[in-house]
Amino acid sequence: MAESINIELVTPSEMLFTDTADMVVVPGSEGVFGVLPRHAATLANLQRGEINVYNSGSITRRFFIDGGVADVLPERVIILAERAVDLDSVSIQQLEERAVNATESEASFIAAVKKAI
Amino acid sequence: MANLKDLKTRINSVKSTQKITSAMKMVAAAKLRRAQEVAEAGRPYSSRMQQVISGLAANANKSNAPELLVGREDVKTHLLIVVSADKGLCGGFNGSIARQTRQEINRLENEGKSVLVYMVGKKAADNLGREILNKTFERIENLQGSNVDYNKVKGVSEKILLGFADNQFDQVSIIYNQFVNAITQNVVVAPLIPANVVGEQENESLVVYDYEPEQNELLELLLPRNITTQIFSALLESSAAELAARMTAMDNATRNAGDMIDSLTLVYNRTRQANITKELIEIISGAEAL
Repeated sequence: MAESINIELVTPSEMLFTDTADMVVVPGSEGVFGVLPRHAATLANLQRGEINVYNSGSITRRFFIDGGVADVLPERVIILAERAVDLDSVSIQQLEERAVNATESEASFIAAVKKAI
Repeated sequence: MANLKDLKTRINSVKSTQKITSAMKMVAAAKLRRAQEVAEAGRPYSSRMQQVISGLAANANKSNAPELLVGREDVKTHLLIVVSADKGLCGGFNGSIARQTRQEINRLENEGKSVLVYMVGKKAADNLGREILNKTFERIENLQGSNVDYNKVKGVSEKILLGFADNQFDQVSIIYNQFVNAITQNVVVAPLIPANVVGEQENESLVVYDYEPEQNELLELLLPRNITTQIFSALLESSAAELAARMTAMDNATRNAGDMIDSLTLVYNRTRQANITKELIEIISGAEAL
């Protein structure tokens, strides 16, 4: 059976996601890249985009981040994101509530999240 | 000896104080649980950020590393970020922050640096009063508890970065109360600029990382974020610590009020009895005289 990789998605206010998976695809600032087990140690800046967690060939979890950094080691990847949203559980309504008194940068993030859903 | 009515009034006033303090204690306890959860939920991010920065710094080329990491050679001015509470009635919480700030100011001035302070929260500023009159870089209030918001903190750190870039100061550190548990808070002085690089575990720094983009570029991106993160987590810790301090202080106050009520009641009863005895003697001696 294939190996799996530990994933942690951390925001300043909470640990959003931590689990093992077959692969995770992250939006690097120099291009989207996938992280499989035994990936070379990498420290990558991330831009706004989707994080997809793959298990047995299909996407099982989707997140949207507003940039951050990924710390990749062969057995684990830590994603630090200032803003992150779980695309599977968030609703348009929640986003609109958040957008009410949001700053400019947060509003543009929320708009991007809406598109991604 | 105080008369009975005065004693009764005092007992009642202490009783109502006790009601207030015990209510405050319960409010603080309820809020503390929430604040503690928030502070603990924030720890992974800041500790991992620290880890990433330390790893990067260990491998960085020191000669052209960003100033935020290695600091300036010639340090003229030091900025102290002082985190205290907006409200009092929390025991030694604000006092110990003020004391530590005073010590730091003295220490830095003895080293020949001038000091600026960034006051978060009202109380330490009130406490330090004139001592910081000409040193205040900025004052900010209402950044506590549920008002601690990452975006707001970002505004604070951007102002600090601008000030740094503008050569208004060359070093920054932050003083705050760290939440240990409900009865212990530690006053911590942590450096922000230059970045606090902990000696990374050797096995970790041996890993050869690929960097995307280049190391120094990455450092330039991450160091400002790190400052925001450290301030953010300091504010969360401080909020939790404040509530814990208030809870303990109010618990003590409630207990002291209880003791006071007991002793006042004792005096009250004795006085009452003495009065009765006195009246009886008067009646008896009056009757004997007849």
